[in-house]
Amino acid sequence: MTISPDMATAPLSLGGRLRTMMSGPNSFAYLIILPAIVLRLTYSIVPLFQTVWMSFTNRSITNPGRFIGLANYEFLIRDERLIGSLAFTLIYTFVSVALEVFLGLMLALLLMQSLRGRWLSNFIMLLPWVMAPLLAATVWKIMFYEDGGILNAVLRDLGVISSPIRWLSDANTARVSVIVVTVWKNVSWCALIFMAGLAALPKELYEAAEVDGANILQRFWFVTLPMLMPTVYLIVMLRGMAEVQTFEQINGLTRGGPGTATETLAVYAYSRFFQELRYGYGSAINLLLLLCSVTIGGFFAWRLYRANRSGL
Amino acid sequence: MHPILQQRLGRSAQYGVLLIVLVMLAFPIYYMVITSLKPPGEAYRLPPTLWPRNPTIDAYPFVMKAWNYFRSLLNTVLVAGAAAAGATLLGGLAAYGFSRMNFVGKSALYSALVATVAIPGMVTLGPVFIAYNDLGLLDTHIGLILIFMSDGIPFAFLTLFAYFRSIPRELDEAAWIDGAGLFSTLFRIIFPIAMPAFAVTFLLLFIAGWNEFLYAFTLTASPETRLLTVRLFEVPVRADANTTPYDLIAAGGVLILLPLIPLLVRVQKQLVQGILAGAVKG
Repeated sequence: MTISPDMATAPLSLGGRLRTMMSGPNSFAYLIILPAIVLRLTYSIVPLFQTVWMSFTNRSITNPGRFIGLANYEFLIRDERLIGSLAFTLIYTFVSVALEVFLGLMLALLLMQSLRGRWLSNFIMLLPWVMAPLLAATVWKIMFYEDGGILNAVLRDLGVISSPIRWLSDANTARVSVIVVTVWKNVSWCALIFMAGLAALPKELYEAAEVDGANILQRFWFVTLPMLMPTVYLIVMLRGMAEVQTFEQINGLTRGGPGTATETLAVYAYSRFFQELRYGYGSAINLLLLLCSVTIGGFFAWRLYRANRSGL
Repeated sequence: MHPILQQRLGRSAQYGVLLIVLVMLAFPIYYMVITSLKPPGEAYRLPPTLWPRNPTIDAYPFVMKAWNYFRSLLNTVLVAGAAAAGATLLGGLAAYGFSRMNFVGKSALYSALVATVAIPGMVTLGPVFIAYNDLGLLDTHIGLILIFMSDGIPFAFLTLFAYFRSIPRELDEAAWIDGAGLFSTLFRIIFPIAMPAFAVTFLLLFIAGWNEFLYAFTLTASPETRLLTVRLFEVPVRADANTTPYDLIAAGGVLILLPLIPLLVRVQKQLVQGILAGAVKG
């Protein structure tokens, strides 16, 4: 082989470019950033592509699987159990996040009044936060015990109810019950983030509004809330992505029941993938779950980005 | 009404509301503790008691024996601890690189790393399960440590990235000028300064690992490898009973929660700061 004269002066080959990148100050940067990135992508992007691929096959525990095109997706849109779990997941996410944001903000406003006993109130607020979702579900399951559980006893003694409430065995009540547990567990986290957001707001604006004669509600609605919107978007983004994939509270409380009344997408995907071992169809459900999570995350990340750029 | 009286009334109302909220947050946990101290008969007695008539700790040894508690505790500390340490170290290294250096593909790699938080664990778990099955990593601690670590990396990265951006670059540059190499700048100057931030990140990831359920439940099977939180799904039953053993369930819950309480007491302030750093800066 003869060496052509212009090869020596040609732009660096890919290997050459890589060598330049990996030497000098660059190489140290890659050395320290790549372990984290490689590990993370190995456990997220790689399995994600495998899930996409499997969703186009009929792979299962007994069947190595062959390409079946969109058959899983055609089955998806006619699967009533899927439609039910998708609807419940969206309602559950919307109601839980709305309550967490509203109650969390109220709690934060209350705690910003520099009341005494901050250590104790922080300690109590951190208790639900530090508990595993499955443990939170267990704690409430003890209280939801229907024939003589504490919740029914207290409500009866207070004269609120005359017959026991079917906390977990009636479909609609069970849907409310799982939301109660989720809100109970996460409201203090929201309050903490709101307190940080409130503390960062400039005080001068309040004083100006007060001088202008705005009352406390007007000051909250027209001054505090607009400036607090980035915090609201942040909380909705993080809680929304968490609630939409809810799995363990449901398993701890109702296992999706009664019937399939409280079945979330994640619970349904789990039962198809890991219990029936239908990898192909389970993957198709998982991609629907991914779509929900990415939509929520992407939309509120965009709102957060815009709010941060235009405002403060 | 006199303004001072009005102010006093307002204050009392605020304390009243706060008290109600705190009782609602704490009551379920109080009731779990109380239930765990009831003898089996009283746990379903009508009407339920708010205070055990004949307190007993009999449920605890029963659950601890059935769960092989100390083995599960050791497993949890080992897996959650190793994963949290690994994620903090790798996330911290990456955060330092992104905060101080320029390299080809920086913004793309940053976006890739951050965007992975939108992928639900359930979506990636299936292929991981199949791969672990092929690789013999099912029901092993190393398999759990690796997936917990990967799960913790975005949080560690974002928290520590915000932290490194808040400490002045001049520090590194001074060390550089003094002739310290890149590695010794990092390990002798920067990491010691960042120790408190590393410690809080580690603790928050440790708590997350302690509480993790989905991976720990799916990727392990035998009692010897299982972690503590998963064991709530395997509540023991007494041989002679046919009712739900609420006292045993409650005792199990207390046994899982109790080891975390010292953290809330001793480093409460740091934990709160860590929660805020992870969310607000991310």
